[in-house]
Amino acid sequence: MEAEVKCARPGALLAALLAGLLALFQIDRLSGQVPGDLARERAEWADWLRTAPTSPFAALAQTPVGSGITLGPGNADVPLAGVALTRVTEESEGVYLESGGDRRILPRNRGTPLGNYLLRLTGPARQSTLAVYGKPTGVRAPTYFPYDRSLVITASLDPPARPGPQRLLTLEGVVVEAVAAGSVAVPLGAVKASLQVMRIPDPESGESDLMIYFRDETNGDGSYPAGRFLLLTPAGGGKYRLDFNRARNPFCAYSTVYACPAPWPGNAIAAPVRAGEQYHAASGH
Amino acid sequence: MWLAALLAILGMGTDSPLTGWWMAGLDLAGGQLRFAIAIEKTKSGLSGRLCNGTDCQPLSRVALRGDTVVFEMGDYAAAISATRRGDSLVGTYHNVGSRGPRVIPFRAAKGRWPAGPAADSLLGRWDATFIQDWQTSPRVFVLRNGKAGLEGTVISNSGDYGLFWGQVSADSFALSHFDGSFVYLLTGRLSGDTLRGTFHAGLRTQTPWIAVRSTGAPHLTPPLQVIAADTAAPFRFSFPDLNGVRLDQSDPRFVGKVVVIDIFGTWCPTCHDAAPTLVQLYRDYHSKGLEMLGLAYEVSGDPGIDGKLVRRYQEKFGIPFPLLLAGTNDPEAAAASQPQLRGVIAFPTTIFLGRDGRVRQIHAGFYGPATGAQYDRLVTEFREEIERLLKER
Repeated sequence: MEAEVKCARPGALLAALLAGLLALFQIDRLSGQVPGDLARERAEWADWLRTAPTSPFAALAQTPVGSGITLGPGNADVPLAGVALTRVTEESEGVYLESGGDRRILPRNRGTPLGNYLLRLTGPARQSTLAVYGKPTGVRAPTYFPYDRSLVITASLDPPARPGPQRLLTLEGVVVEAVAAGSVAVPLGAVKASLQVMRIPDPESGESDLMIYFRDETNGDGSYPAGRFLLLTPAGGGKYRLDFNRARNPFCAYSTVYACPAPWPGNAIAAPVRAGEQYHAASGH
Repeated sequence: MWLAALLAILGMGTDSPLTGWWMAGLDLAGGQLRFAIAIEKTKSGLSGRLCNGTDCQPLSRVALRGDTVVFEMGDYAAAISATRRGDSLVGTYHNVGSRGPRVIPFRAAKGRWPAGPAADSLLGRWDATFIQDWQTSPRVFVLRNGKAGLEGTVISNSGDYGLFWGQVSADSFALSHFDGSFVYLLTGRLSGDTLRGTFHAGLRTQTPWIAVRSTGAPHLTPPLQVIAADTAAPFRFSFPDLNGVRLDQSDPRFVGKVVVIDIFGTWCPTCHDAAPTLVQLYRDYHSKGLEMLGLAYEVSGDPGIDGKLVRRYQEKFGIPFPLLLAGTNDPEAAAASQPQLRGVIAFPTTIFLGRDGRVRQIHAGFYGPATGAQYDRLVTEFREEIERLLKER
């Protein structure tokens, strides 16, 4: 037995060395290579930006309905070539679209065609926002920092300092009633950041997402100046996965049609997060 | 022979493997949402139905492209695309959301999901409490045995979620509702006289719940109303400038003037787009009685840090009017600092005050020069509004 162990040692050492080298190679390779699911996600996202009727690159206007807005000829609030004067007004029972003798309710959270354009009404009642879309133009495919698997973090949610609903702007610049979902402690190099997590409803699907809107030291220097969004994915056992390689820009990074959401207090990471979507001011707006 | 092969590829052959029942599922982060797809041969090709138990609705189209089959759900601009691998399909469900594509992994195998009745101990009306974000909200579950096994619904304060259907295994159950747009899965287990489980909505949303048998007393309450912000009151402010000197609306430079107030943040790129235009408007109309003021809502709340950022912003754009440190960009802090503008959280926001100091117009957001016609229109509107207010005495 003893002899066997002795005999095995040089081989085991070599195997360990080889395994170590292989592991090093593997880590190096994996840290730079985008995993298949993320690559697919990014391809779908780029495709959506390029083709979706509600892509930010197709947005012509996004404006509160307020006391009423007009669409159509040159003197309308939102000039739309080839569209007869159309009035959008909000009343107690909903938002109306009126043109000529025709008057109809404009459905919320759903696309409604108007000539060659698409209208989409969002936001809570009496604070409705109307978005108008044409064809996507000037599309720029998003670019990303190199993949960094050390920035895929699993964390638990701690209770929020200030529970309850808060009205804020979504990443597409629309008012929602969000809910403080808690905070996550995120180790980033030498820094341990405590980031506020909000539950953002999606009235379109009836779902909601846990999101972090964060700033870090790359803002304005490789990433979008106002900060980036990150989704939390359930990882079982009450834990969540935060993958900073999936950090995304708010829509105001793509088009000035969108209002920028205010950064969330406390969500500034005192370290550069070189992962996720980039921003190049020269090609930006 | 080649004709038979071609017909088989097109799914039109008499023994096409695509026709018939499929056990379909969406792989959510916390479990599989099960439903059924039934494919039939028609004169013009194939047609399909999407079923939750006995509740079926037609698919708008079943299309074959090579070895890819696409089930289209036109009402929701949604589709399932899957690759055929023998008797299974592997792909994704996707539809076009307003924030990006909504994509959920999909798989299916030939056959029917097993279904059977649940024990009486699971059936009936349950008063459930959803627990999310350290808050609770009421729901009611109604569970019954239907023709295709266990079915039921989930009712909230504002209505029900449609028909759910699924499987039972001993004390556990999984009920699904998928109509091409809404993606719901209710999983639970009976323990003693209490039900416990998770409500899954879409790929990622998971809400734990607990339920007890309904006593008959009302469990649901009417929904809360969203209160609109009041923006009609006169405007008052009092904030320190970059030298720490407090400035308010009674300062002689503002009294009797038309005042345009820019609510901005140095972190906000759209605000950077707006700044040169505001400076130009100031230069054009200042001699005629226009005054301007910038209220900065910065990130840190530390006057030293924020002051430096705002000063840099002022120098960058050559801003000739005062910029005040109004607070942090927390929406509630911003609302608290301007009670008459409760709910204003868009950056930038431009407020127009008449010579009497009252709010005349509020414009949320700003179309930058890159928007072309929108920008021209906005600038024209701003000019018209300023000129109109300047004429007032």
